[in-house]
Amino acid sequence: MLGLVLVVLFIPYLIAAYGLLFVKLRWGLRLFGVFIVVTIGLLVAMFLVEAYPILARDGVAVFLRTDWDPVRESYGVLQALVGTVLTSAVAIALAMPMAVGVAVTINEILPARWRGLFGSLVDLTATMPTVIYGLWGLFVLGPLLQGLVNALAGGVVMASPYTLFTAGVLLAIMISPYAAAVIREGYALVPKPVEEAIYAVGATKFEAVLIKLRYIRNYILGGFFLALGRAMGETVAVAMVVGGNFARLTTNLFESGITISSLIALQFPNAAAYQYMVPALFAAALLLALFGLVINAVAIYIIQRWQV
Amino acid sequence: MTAERRVANWLGLGLFALLGVAAVAPLFLIIGDVYIKGIDAINRLGGLWHFLTELPPSPFDEKGGIGPMLVGTLYMTALGALLGVAVGFPLGVYIGEMRREKFTNVARAGVNVLVEFPTITIGLFMYAIMSLAKEDLNEWVMKPLSHVLKAAFGDWVSWFIGPLDGYNAYAGAAALAIIMIPYVALVTASAYASIEQPLREAAYDIGGREFNALFVVLRKAVSRAVITATLLGTAKIAGETAPLLFTAFGNFYYAPFTGPTGAVTLWVWYAAQTPYDVQIASAYGAAAVLLTIILIIFITARIKR
Amino acid sequence: MSRVMNPKILGVIAAVVIIVVVAVLLTLPGGTPPPAAAQTPAATPTSPQTPRSLSGALTGGGSTFVAPQMFAWSKKFYDVTEGRIQLNYQSIGSGAGTAQFLEKKLDFGASDVPMPKDRFDKVAGRFIQFPVIIGSIVLVYNVPELAYEKTGKYLNLTSEVISLIYMGEIKQWCDERIKALNPGVADKLPCRDIVAAHRSDGSGTTAAFTLYLSLAYPQWNRTVGWGFTVKWPADEKAKGLGAKGNEGVAQAVLQNAYSIGYIEYAYWAKNRDKYDKVGGVALIRNDNDGKFYFPTAENVAMGAGAGLERYVKKYGSNPAPDADWNPVSIEFTNPPRGYPILSFVYVFLWKDYSAEGYGDAATKAALLKEFFKWVLTEGQKPENVVEGYIPLPREVAELGLKALELVKP
Repeated sequence: MLGLVLVVLFIPYLIAAYGLLFVKLRWGLRLFGVFIVVTIGLLVAMFLVEAYPILARDGVAVFLRTDWDPVRESYGVLQALVGTVLTSAVAIALAMPMAVGVAVTINEILPARWRGLFGSLVDLTATMPTVIYGLWGLFVLGPLLQGLVNALAGGVVMASPYTLFTAGVLLAIMISPYAAAVIREGYALVPKPVEEAIYAVGATKFEAVLIKLRYIRNYILGGFFLALGRAMGETVAVAMVVGGNFARLTTNLFESGITISSLIALQFPNAAAYQYMVPALFAAALLLALFGLVINAVAIYIIQRWQV
Repeated sequence: MTAERRVANWLGLGLFALLGVAAVAPLFLIIGDVYIKGIDAINRLGGLWHFLTELPPSPFDEKGGIGPMLVGTLYMTALGALLGVAVGFPLGVYIGEMRREKFTNVARAGVNVLVEFPTITIGLFMYAIMSLAKEDLNEWVMKPLSHVLKAAFGDWVSWFIGPLDGYNAYAGAAALAIIMIPYVALVTASAYASIEQPLREAAYDIGGREFNALFVVLRKAVSRAVITATLLGTAKIAGETAPLLFTAFGNFYYAPFTGPTGAVTLWVWYAAQTPYDVQIASAYGAAAVLLTIILIIFITARIKR
Repeated sequence: MSRVMNPKILGVIAAVVIIVVVAVLLTLPGGTPPPAAAQTPAATPTSPQTPRSLSGALTGGGSTFVAPQMFAWSKKFYDVTEGRIQLNYQSIGSGAGTAQFLEKKLDFGASDVPMPKDRFDKVAGRFIQFPVIIGSIVLVYNVPELAYEKTGKYLNLTSEVISLIYMGEIKQWCDERIKALNPGVADKLPCRDIVAAHRSDGSGTTAAFTLYLSLAYPQWNRTVGWGFTVKWPADEKAKGLGAKGNEGVAQAVLQNAYSIGYIEYAYWAKNRDKYDKVGGVALIRNDNDGKFYFPTAENVAMGAGAGLERYVKKYGSNPAPDADWNPVSIEFTNPPRGYPILSFVYVFLWKDYSAEGYGDAATKAALLKEFFKWVLTEGQKPENVVEGYIPLPREVAELGLKALELVKP
């Protein structure tokens, strides 16, 4: 009955929430907030329930170990978390400047006729099935990066084309359209009076751009979180290029590694054949959720201090 | 203007342009690659109309198409996007407008976290709900409903409404909706949060009721951002694979939406990984078709404004 | 109506889409929906079932390896039955397929390994399993000095050497043990590190490969074991490389000099000339009869037949369809003759669909029997077997046909 209740109550809830919008707007909006919090709560609850067997057996050791030996039913997900952190960091570090660059290029540098087309093409890449990105990474990007890095370093730094670095670069390419879309919107919405004022004081175009960027820092932040979330959650493309090294912790970007999302994607189809693998994978998902919450809390704290 | 500032101007703008191009070059390369291989594939596999309606090719076939999968993707993406916007938009307004309240911060944190969940877990969540709810849902809702509708409109209703299998298109659409909600919400929230105080106060003055102020007067200011949010979210879920694996399951034949349903992305996922040329080709053709559909939606939406 | 524009636009687009979808569905030949197998009994034909009047849809899932073959069979069967029977099979993984089958979400499951013992014990006697097709695993390598195009020779390898490579004990191509097996090209073997490519995703290919190594080289069994995913010592001790899917490993070997990898036969056969340019495929020694076999359909079929013989000799009769097939799988692996690295795909069916709680059980069971009867007879003929798969020897297919008789009605 529980399932039926969940599904059936959902429609009236939505109708009530919408109705309330017309009557008491603020309460109507709050209902939507409640809805999403309840959904997330249910998701995390599901993770907990599914992960329970391995938490009962190993406790928090599963979050601190770096092992993956299904034959002996020994699992640890720390190496996956480290991989997620490293690849996301690389991805964001590369994607944010590129996204800002795209926004500036579209709004300041390109002639008006080309803007729409260029913009639409950038948006379009958000649609690309991630499998295609994965294939491109497999056939093109991986070997390219390997050659490039080894040439620049003058030796064999990247022994395999499929490493955390490859995944990070591929992710950067994939997430920049999201950040770019958000920042572009903000950039275009800078009010005319403000823009005129900036030029009135004699700024060069470049200086104007910098000022406008500071003006829309809300949007940049929004783009940042959207892109970061996308990077942490990307499964398929990363799974194809990250190298699949899940029994060992590595902090070297140029070695094969694994991320939490790709670990789940790679191992889940056959996980049911083992006793503790499915719980271990859900424990990894739980860890990701926790990590996301921590990042959010830290970010909100920093922003509060920055904006005061 | 000093020489330094002039040099800084050119260098700075040049850097931005370079970054912009760097961001976009690989994207163009991939799109180009997909279209070149895809169009070639569609021609080899029987032409565009054939490709859009026929069943997919097995390793023995010379021709094939993505008919059932296309229908499934269109249906699930449309439903998912509808639901995603229906919930995501007000949610975004809530997060963006009512920033003072404590609960808003909780909701925003929740949305930021939801964005990053591996999409396969969202699919598993929907699968769990579907497993719990299926029996009772069919008993109390779907069977009576389908009897009523069939009596009124005819047998074809059973393609859409009827007792649900464990795998069905609606579970897939629901999973996609959950994935889309945070994207729409975050972009909408940014839009509303960036309205400066004077404009907001003016809107309240003119609008009278809060509802009018927020949605009617301000709509020009935010509609662009909201449409972007919707388009971006729709594009994202149209390209998703993992959440559909255990909800819609996939289907290579035309079948009712109350049972396992195909999706273009699932076909690309499967076909790109086989060693058989005809299937690999159809994967690129499918990707090209998907991109084109989204492009059409984007362009229509932007023109209509 | 004074609402913001965007929900309206999206509503319009959604409405257009749904209208298009309905239009397409209505214009399909036979616009009335096929009686989906899970619907109310009103859809079941009331006359005694003859094959001509049977129609419906079946859902199966599991092994990724068998998916192209299963789809090919499904389409041919669809043609043979003139569109009456739709068999939808999706590759969700052997483990997931087994689990979903046991949860009654699928009509049948397909797996690269037989039902695991712990699960078998729970449902013993209620289901049957039988093989439907054979696959084989080849070892490809990329060593430019030894490219087949250059030397005209392929490398010889044994289970011991392969195990030691993946255990990180043999680290270079010029190792004595490899030289001993290949006197003809011993001087050409370069002293370069071997990159051992393996799967990063859980896979039936890995399961079959590691099962072979476990049975043929006991040291492997003690250190590593076998399964869909294993911990590869080469990752730590030497150079290991993880790639996703057969195509990932196939690509990895093609792109990385001095690498070696295990892939399904089809992935090598389709790219044979590419591999010949950079290296080649290995002949594997069958430890039981000491001969080196090149991977061909005949050699693999020889192995399958020999494996069944060995089982019958050991246990006195053919394997029963409702017995635990893990011992059978062990006898099939590393057979007495023939190419030794092969894998079977097993299909799981319930004996009594109505007792198990499936809707429309009678039709479903009849459809399943129809389909698998076809698969085990017509489906094994060369024109219906996809390149890269090996048809079952007659005796093994018979096991399946006998098993089908146990499915009620």
